Amino acid sequence: MSDTTAHPLGTDGDTQVAVAIGPLVGPVLRRVVGMLAARADLPLDRLDDAVLVADIVASRALAYAAESVRVRLTPGERTLWMRVGPLRAGGAEALLGEAAGPEVGSVILKLADEVHVDTEGPGSEFLRVCVAYAG
Amino acid sequence: MDHLPASTPSAPPLGERAQDCDIRLTMPARAENVAMIRHVCGALAEGLHMPTELVADVRLAVTEACTNVVRHAYAGAEAAGPIDVIAEPLGGCLTVVVSDRGCGIDAGPESEGPGLGLPLIAALSHGFEIEHGPQQGSRLRMSFRPHGGRFLAG
Repeated sequence: MSDTTAHPLGTDGDTQVAVAIGPLVGPVLRRVVGMLAARADLPLDRLDDAVLVADIVASRALAYAAESVRVRLTPGERTLWMRVGPLRAGGAEALLGEAAGPEVGSVILKLADEVHVDTEGPGSEFLRVCVAYAG
Repeated sequence: MDHLPASTPSAPPLGERAQDCDIRLTMPARAENVAMIRHVCGALAEGLHMPTELVADVRLAVTEACTNVVRHAYAGAEAAGPIDVIAEPLGGCLTVVVSDRGCGIDAGPESEGPGLGLPLIAALSHGFEIEHGPQQGSRLRMSFRPHGGRFLAG
C-alpha cells in the first residue's frame, strides 16, 4: 500500500487500522472512528454519521479488499477524513453504489461532506470520505 | 508467568506492515490514543468470547504497555513518534504486540516507570517478552490464554 501523505504514518495525527476480513471489522472500525470523531470535536449527530459511514464501509468493503480492510483516519478541526483502501479496481465506486437506498441514493454520499475516489496504480483504489461540521 | 510457546510467530519487523494479522493499529504515541487501543483490544477479546475477567486483564495489560511507550519511548523528542499495536489470535492464545520506534521500554522491574509497569503485565498475561536495542525501538509481546481451552472466533 502506498501512502499519499508526506509525513510518516503515525507521527502527525494520522491513525491507520487494518483488520483482517471477518466479523471483527465492524466492531473495531466503529470504535476507532467514534473515538476519533469525538476527538475532532464533531457534534453528536455528525459523530453518529461518521460511525454510520464506518459501519457501511465495514459491511461492504470486505468484498473489495484483499485480506484486510485498511482505513487511514485523519482527524482535524471538526473534520474526520477516512481513507479506505487499497480496494480492487472499481471497488470504491461499487462500495458507494451498494450502500444506496431506494429513492435515497448512496448513503455515504448523503452523510459525507466530501467523497473522492483515488486511483494509485493498476487495480488499487482508495475511497476518501470526509465527515465535517460547519457550525 | 509462562514463556511464550516456541511456535508463536514473530511479529513483522518494526516499520513493516502486517499482512496476515487480525488487527493492526498505527498511531501517534500520545496519551489520548491509549484509550482507543484499549477499546480495540477489548473488542477483539470480546469477539473471541474470552472470559470477562480475561478481557479485563487484556485491557489493563495493553493499557500499561501503551502507557509505557507514551511516557518513555519518545521522551525528549519534539513530537511523539508512532506506536504500533498488533493483536491476533494464535492457536489458543491472544497475542498482543506493542512496539515503538523510539528509545524503548525499560525492562527493569525495579525501574521507576509509570503505574505498576511491567510486573503488572507479567502478572496479567500468560507470557510476555521484550525485544529492544539502540535505535531499534522496542517491542513487547504479551499472550493471553483462557484457562483450559481455546476460544472461538465468531
